[in-house]
Amino acid sequence: MANTLQTPPQSAPQAERLEAPPAAKRFAFLTDRKLSFLFISPAMALLLFLSIWPLLWLLGLSFTDYSATRDSGWGWIGLDNYIEVLTSPVVHARALTTLVFVVGAVALQTILGFTIAFLISRRVKGRGAITTLFLIPMMLSPIVVGLFWKFMLDVQFGVVNSFLDSLGLGRVEWLTQQRLALFSLVIVDTWQWTPFIMLIALAGLTAVPKYLYEAAEIDRASEWFKFRRITFPLVWPLLLIAIMFRAIEAFRLFDLVYILTGGGPGGTTETLSFNVYKVAFFGFDTGLASAYGILMVVVVTIAAQFYLRYLNRLQES
Amino acid sequence: MKGRLAVSASLTAMAAAVTLAACGGGDGGEGSASKAPAKTSALSDKPMELTFLWFEWPPAAALEELGKEYTKTRPNVTVKVNTVPNPQWHDAIFTQFAARKTNFDLPILDSQNIGEAVDNGSILDLTDFVKENVDTSQYDPYFLAAYGQYPQNTTGVADPDAKTYGLPLLGDTWSMIWRKDLMGDTPPATWEDMIAAAKKCQDENEGMSGLAFHQAGTGDAAAVTYNVMNALYGGELWNQKDKKIEGVINDAAGKKAMDVLVNQMVPLTPKGSSNWFIDEVNAAISQGQVCVGFQWIAAMGGLTDPASSKLGTTKEEILEKLAFAPLPKQVTDKKPLGGMGLHVSKYIPEEKQAEALNFIKWFQTPEAQKKWAQLGGVPARNDVLNSPDFLEATPYNKVFTDSVSQLKDFWNLPEYAKLLNVHSTQVNAAISGTQPPEEALDKLAADEQKILDESGGL
Repeated sequence: MANTLQTPPQSAPQAERLEAPPAAKRFAFLTDRKLSFLFISPAMALLLFLSIWPLLWLLGLSFTDYSATRDSGWGWIGLDNYIEVLTSPVVHARALTTLVFVVGAVALQTILGFTIAFLISRRVKGRGAITTLFLIPMMLSPIVVGLFWKFMLDVQFGVVNSFLDSLGLGRVEWLTQQRLALFSLVIVDTWQWTPFIMLIALAGLTAVPKYLYEAAEIDRASEWFKFRRITFPLVWPLLLIAIMFRAIEAFRLFDLVYILTGGGPGGTTETLSFNVYKVAFFGFDTGLASAYGILMVVVVTIAAQFYLRYLNRLQES
Repeated sequence: MKGRLAVSASLTAMAAAVTLAACGGGDGGEGSASKAPAKTSALSDKPMELTFLWFEWPPAAALEELGKEYTKTRPNVTVKVNTVPNPQWHDAIFTQFAARKTNFDLPILDSQNIGEAVDNGSILDLTDFVKENVDTSQYDPYFLAAYGQYPQNTTGVADPDAKTYGLPLLGDTWSMIWRKDLMGDTPPATWEDMIAAAKKCQDENEGMSGLAFHQAGTGDAAAVTYNVMNALYGGELWNQKDKKIEGVINDAAGKKAMDVLVNQMVPLTPKGSSNWFIDEVNAAISQGQVCVGFQWIAAMGGLTDPASSKLGTTKEEILEKLAFAPLPKQVTDKKPLGGMGLHVSKYIPEEKQAEALNFIKWFQTPEAQKKWAQLGGVPARNDVLNSPDFLEATPYNKVFTDSVSQLKDFWNLPEYAKLLNVHSTQVNAAISGTQPPEEALDKLAADEQKILDESGGL
């Protein structure tokens, strides 16, 4: 019987010495670590000069009385700007308006987006075409969306009121009546951004494993049971991420307010972002506007942190 | 480790920002506009584009057209008028001032914005230049004060010792436009007669509304409307000497003005018109929706255009239905001053400044002013305002000439933009019913007083 077991070598075989090709030799000083730094440095430079540096500059200005248009320099005023923003009744009113808008718009968009996605996911024929059609509003510029909705909602000349009038329902002051104006902003934002939620929800719905439904079928589970115990729990985490993106976006709503209502009637549709714009450009209180902006970033960051923790816990469980 | 790193990074960022801010203290600039030379300097022969910045409306196109006349005298220079939508007009000019670099040579500023531009040192002091090169005796003193001087004299009359930062480009005021085919040829004698006539017209003509005027909370739309009413009922916007707004604007006259506006005039306007400004008022008049309208004269060009009117297929047919008159008087006969002045940016090369000053000198000649009137502009020289060339150019030019002696502007303080924001928002709140009129006026007065107190006033 042949001994097929070989005695292991006493010492490790001598590795063949690798000669670097001439070109690589020239760049021998470029270690892997240096090379990685080199590759990420353009992105880091962009991040530093376009995001981090302006943010630090903004933070610095927020402690001063600087005005961008005045040739008079600036002076250190400590936390005065922050105190002024936090104690201003105007800011409190704008924060409430923003909160109502964010809750109203995001809730409506989530319900509609998920419903549409659920219906589309159950359809086999023409699913791609329908999805593309639904995505069109999301691809338009908010300024364009604002302008055509402004014409459509106009009391005298708008198509919406002409239609309501022809039905004998009378004309509605969509953009000039206190509560309706904010509702109109919610509707227009919903029209534009429901497809975003729909898209994310659709991705979640199509990723639900088929075998779960098949197993449920075998157990003769009802449609409602399948939705409640399989579909919704699996899509929910993804939907929560979409809700977070939309809430952050809605929190800094500016363009639709600017075009549709101009903050009116009587300032009742002014959001925080619109108010920051006024502080920054009506009289150019740059220091105050910087503090206002920093506080908004802080609020969003803290809210997002809590939200993400909840999301992580949900996924872990 | 990761947490410690994050904390250190945050602390470093904070320290950097704080150092940055601390380093910035002290005086950063001269704080006053540079002076234009008294004598015009030598002009460049190099090809040059002289750029204006204004907002989008018919006079902007007319100004560019007038620029072609200037090119005839200075063949190497072309005139370009850049425009932005009205709500962005102030921001477009002042954000460039903030950058200390402008892509315009001559900013066209609303008369109320002079204070902000002067205080920031963004436009040239033209005092010596005007004394040496422009025959100011040809102007109504109020135009010189309103469109060029800062601080503006309390009386509104030009102060010979005040500094001049601009000259009139476009004079303007409101005109009353009424349907003479429905209401007769004779204009109402008083403001309250006008309201009564508008109501009667509305009641007699189904589907029509009595009045159309500027009500939007953006720009100076609702603000000017209230100012018109305040002045007509004998009120004042502020007491310049005592730096008082509260108790002045919301005195008995001011409250009466707000009451008439909200409770007598607004009910006669079309439904949903509380966001109307220039275009919407023009459209309502042209579409035959209203009996009486109020509009800036410089923005009325489209009213007699058959292409955009339902009142007739020719200009003559339209003019059989529309008539124009100065605003009716009430307690006073004051009319709002509109229009804008010509100024020169501090942040352009010297050769461009010289060319801009030369344009201003040329623009104030009778020939240029007459051509300006022919193109649809509203000149400010008395001789041109009273010339047949101007009076017969449009059916409403006479309204402006007749109104000149009664014009009244509002504050031109550096805090104008902030004051205007409060003014427009609160008047619009009263008009749209989101606040009771008296409450809105009191809040307007308190908020404006706070702005004035914080700035130290004048």
